[in-house]
Amino acid sequence: MGASKKESVEVDKKKNSKKTQPTKKEKHNTEESVLAQKQEDAATDYKELSADDDSEDYKSVGESEAGDGESSGDEGNHKSGSSEGLAIDGQSEDSEPDQGAEESDSSEDEVAPRNTVGDVPLEWYKDEKHIGYDIAGKKIKKKERQDKLDSFLANVDDSKNWLLSPTRPSYLLYLFFSQYLELSYSIVPISVALCEDHELTERGVKSGLVRGMNSGVYFEMSHIGMTYLVLRPSLGDTTFNGSKSRRKIYDEYNDEEVELTKEETKLVRRMLKGKTPHADFDPYAVLGLVRAIRKGFIKFDKPKEEPRFYMLWGDDASSSEKTGHLSYIPAPKPNMPGHEESYNPSLEYIPTQEEINSYQLMDEEDRPKFIPKRFTSLRSIPAYENAVKDSFERCLDLYLCPRVRKKRINIDPESLKPKLPSRKDLRPYPATCYLEYRGHKGAVMSISAEASGQWIASGSSDGTVRLWEVETCRCIKVWEFGEVVQYVAWNPLPELPILAVTVGQDVFLLNSGLGNEEIQRKVKELLHVETPTAPEDSGNKVSGWSWRQDDEHEGIRLRHFKSVYSVEWHRKGDYFSTVMPADILFFHYHLIAVLFLALESIVLCIVMKSIIFHPTRSIFFVSTKKNVRVYDLLKQKLIKKLETGLREVSSISIHPAGDNIIVGSRDGKLCWFDMDLSSKPYKVLKCHPKDITNVAFHRSYPLFASCSDDCTAYVFHGTVYSDLNQNPLIVPLEILRGHASSDGRGVLDCKFHPRQPWLFTAGADSLIKLYCH
Amino acid sequence: MGTDMDMDGDVEERRVQVRFITKLKPPYKVPKTSIAIPANLTRLGLSTIVNSLLKAGDDEWESQPFDFLIDGELVRLPLEQFLLAKGISAEKVLEIEYIRAVVLQKEDEPSLHDDWVSAVDGSCPRFILTGCYDNLGRVWKAAGECTHILEGHSGAINSVSVVNSEGTDSVAVATASKDETLRLWKFDTEEHSYQPSKIRAFKILRGHNASVQSVAAEASGSMVCSGSWDCTINLWRTNVSDTEGDLVSIKKRKVKNKVEESQLEGEALSTLVGHTQCVSSVFWPEPNTIYSASWDHSVRRWDVEMGKDLSNIFCGKPLSCLHVGGEGSALIAAGGSDPILRIWDPRKPGTSAPTYQFSSHSSWISACKWHSKSLFHLLSASYDGKLMLWDLRTAWPLAIIDSHEDKVLCADWWKGDSVISGGVDSKLCISSGMSVL
Repeated sequence: MGASKKESVEVDKKKNSKKTQPTKKEKHNTEESVLAQKQEDAATDYKELSADDDSEDYKSVGESEAGDGESSGDEGNHKSGSSEGLAIDGQSEDSEPDQGAEESDSSEDEVAPRNTVGDVPLEWYKDEKHIGYDIAGKKIKKKERQDKLDSFLANVDDSKNWLLSPTRPSYLLYLFFSQYLELSYSIVPISVALCEDHELTERGVKSGLVRGMNSGVYFEMSHIGMTYLVLRPSLGDTTFNGSKSRRKIYDEYNDEEVELTKEETKLVRRMLKGKTPHADFDPYAVLGLVRAIRKGFIKFDKPKEEPRFYMLWGDDASSSEKTGHLSYIPAPKPNMPGHEESYNPSLEYIPTQEEINSYQLMDEEDRPKFIPKRFTSLRSIPAYENAVKDSFERCLDLYLCPRVRKKRINIDPESLKPKLPSRKDLRPYPATCYLEYRGHKGAVMSISAEASGQWIASGSSDGTVRLWEVETCRCIKVWEFGEVVQYVAWNPLPELPILAVTVGQDVFLLNSGLGNEEIQRKVKELLHVETPTAPEDSGNKVSGWSWRQDDEHEGIRLRHFKSVYSVEWHRKGDYFSTVMPADILFFHYHLIAVLFLALESIVLCIVMKSIIFHPTRSIFFVSTKKNVRVYDLLKQKLIKKLETGLREVSSISIHPAGDNIIVGSRDGKLCWFDMDLSSKPYKVLKCHPKDITNVAFHRSYPLFASCSDDCTAYVFHGTVYSDLNQNPLIVPLEILRGHASSDGRGVLDCKFHPRQPWLFTAGADSLIKLYCH
Repeated sequence: MGTDMDMDGDVEERRVQVRFITKLKPPYKVPKTSIAIPANLTRLGLSTIVNSLLKAGDDEWESQPFDFLIDGELVRLPLEQFLLAKGISAEKVLEIEYIRAVVLQKEDEPSLHDDWVSAVDGSCPRFILTGCYDNLGRVWKAAGECTHILEGHSGAINSVSVVNSEGTDSVAVATASKDETLRLWKFDTEEHSYQPSKIRAFKILRGHNASVQSVAAEASGSMVCSGSWDCTINLWRTNVSDTEGDLVSIKKRKVKNKVEESQLEGEALSTLVGHTQCVSSVFWPEPNTIYSASWDHSVRRWDVEMGKDLSNIFCGKPLSCLHVGGEGSALIAAGGSDPILRIWDPRKPGTSAPTYQFSSHSSWISACKWHSKSLFHLLSASYDGKLMLWDLRTAWPLAIIDSHEDKVLCADWWKGDSVISGGVDSKLCISSGMSVL
């Protein structure tokens, strides 16, 4: 009886003060109201964060929003401790008027306040009296409010008061409401199932908890006379202070006194919270719950444990990143001292004298900044001479160094690689060297394979041309020229086993001596020219060459006015072209001797490197130093110009289908041109560290190769699709090693076997190697 | 403690119960009782045991090496490891068959040629026929004893074959050359002189358009076939049997006017077309079947009458030699541009994978020959300068003959127990005394 009476008095007072608020309002300084509002915001935020309202401080802060009086003074709150926040009524009453006034301001203020507390977790204020700082830097104080249950429990202690009347206060209240005032309310049965004894249940239901009864109504009620009846027993109870007796409930039917522990108080309050906001709890309901808890009928989850420890020097970046405005980039942390900075590090950290001396020779930047030393005790450590300098530099670093946040993308480098088919699937390709062709005494300058693949010919710097049997490495024939043989080329026709050889200023057409008598007769016939060239020779000086029978080598000798670089046959075997390092390109129809196409008009002072014929059309390709020009033979004009972007083109080869060419360069790059695609290279393969000496396509297999002065030859897979939408597929397959370097030159020529996926390489080490699949 | 010791002893000296059996004739037989032998014995240990067993029965026994077979496989590991590897239980009595080990007994002085020896044929026990890069064929009676020189080709000889050795003293041989012809020769083996007699071919077979790579004679000797770089196989009639009737008259004529002897020219009877590259090797074991190997990576079996290929084994590498033999005379051995000797069993359906692969060589294989009598033995020659003798029952070579200094180009069996080979070092080497049976 006394308890509720007392409470209602309290409420009464508060409401009074509230009523006076509007008048005071103007007087109050706006700042404070702003703060209060702000504080509410912060509190609600926090409430969301912590699901349980175990930490009562925050809950009370949050409830201050509701503004239903009963706010207690700061002192009171904090005396009762953080555990429960039970306020002592008397004390709270003292400070009540101001408090209420302050609070009222907050609710009606229109200015949107800003919390200047900073971007810190509210937890940090958990144990503090304030919740943040206002714009002037003053502390914003926490507003606490007492829970109904707490105050009820505080008042309910003296059970004798309860016994004064057979009708308990809440029951009387109930009767009063229902019968005399006929107000609409509902009875909320609490935990009927949980109450094991019937009597209690019945009482529980009867007494119930009154809902829809806000304090205002209650206030009015107390004014019309019920106050006396209900409140009287608690009138003298104001002297109670936070003792255990407050949590005692006397059960008059069983004649026993039940004392609630701290935990139980908390739990019960949590359970009843949603049922009766800020209203009284029926002691019997509470008792039922308490009993149920004690008997283990109600089980609670363990309250979530807050991590007790946190990183004091945790990453600042994580908190600053959340802010929308100007992002703060934390300075990099200085390195933590390690073992070697210890005053007495292990011996292995101590550098020897030689090492220390060697530091002196090092560059200033590479030199270690700190040399570990041993001291027997901390006492003997001298002052650190660089202390000021170091911290100065650190400071400079902290505030002068511009920092930029770098977005680093984590990508697996493997995933960036293009998806290439496995080498195994691209077999066969040349990989192993089984055969060597030995016999030359100088670097092998050039090789050429006969159409059937039974023979190869090679020209060497020892002045010989040799003919080899591929299968057995047998040297069948040797021609001696006595001058460096620059280039050899077989006639592409199998029935005309003729070799074209360039030696100095001469081009020789040689009879290889292969084939049966019939072929030999034909070849001899072809290679026979009358020698009335003496007068013609002088006349032809302008055109720059002369045909002559060469009996020594059983062939024809064509003398040019300059040394000839290379010779290339047309696919039909009727024409061949010779290239001189001059600007002129000659075409020879080697039977009738003179079909002369001086391209001087077209090729204007361009140093030509090499030339190839298109395999099917009447087109030929001339590589100049930087570009490749494509000419039409019939129309005698330039069709296209391919820009290689290379320093110096060294070699060129055409795909058997005729639409793709590869170009090797002196800077080790290999360009693949798709003629349909563009005049720029489709792919540039930078693989050789030294000059590429030659490039070659296979006639039937999708293979191409490049050889270089670095003594290696690379084999690539290169599929050209007939579908124009699909770009050629280029896959590096194998690096063929084995040649030795000689005079800085490596592999000088490479040619594919015409029918097998084999590669011949000619080395400066006077060897020819055959790499088989 | 004591038990531990015992166990250790057990591990150290594990024993297996074995019984030695053999198919050899009585002097080689050992009693059939089973004995316990240490499990860690190698071939040498087993051989010692067998020899001591034999010595127990016969005091004058001379030790000789044996080879041992367990479940049809030659033992090449210590016994214990072998059983473990093959998953054979060591619990029951193990039957170990022993055979005489193949050992190289004697190497004859090499017979020197003037140039590379590119072909050799030892199918007739009375002589060895060789072909050489100096365009000559030679007939050797024994090591260093050249009896005949076959003169007439204008290109290096690529292949030789004995066509008919039935006659008691006159034999016919065929040679194939880079000059795109084949030549047939006839000579008398009994003819004896201190100087090798020079012979001219009695028939020239023209028809190929490129160098002829290989020649093989039919068993009866009436026909030969040849493979060439022009991708074809030509069949030729030898006419040897026709002339055999008046053998005597020819002989007389030969003596009288050797030089003026008319040279017949023959044309191809038929041509087998199908290979796309050089036909590097042909073999004609049965009248109606020709096997051929080619640089187009395939081995084909041809029906002679129909002129079509019946089967086609794709290998993936250019092949340069082929021989058929072994079990049921059906296993195809072929080697080529890689160091692996492959053996196919065409009777196994549905697979073109080789049944056996021997890969101890280190360079191209230039020749492979089955032993004519043995089911298991074959010979291979390689550019790495080695000849290897293989037994199908083990993956390791039985013997390696290292008598050549450079590439070995050809090899064959001779007289059933000798290996003859020719190579780039211009030598014909004869290694005799190998008893493979």
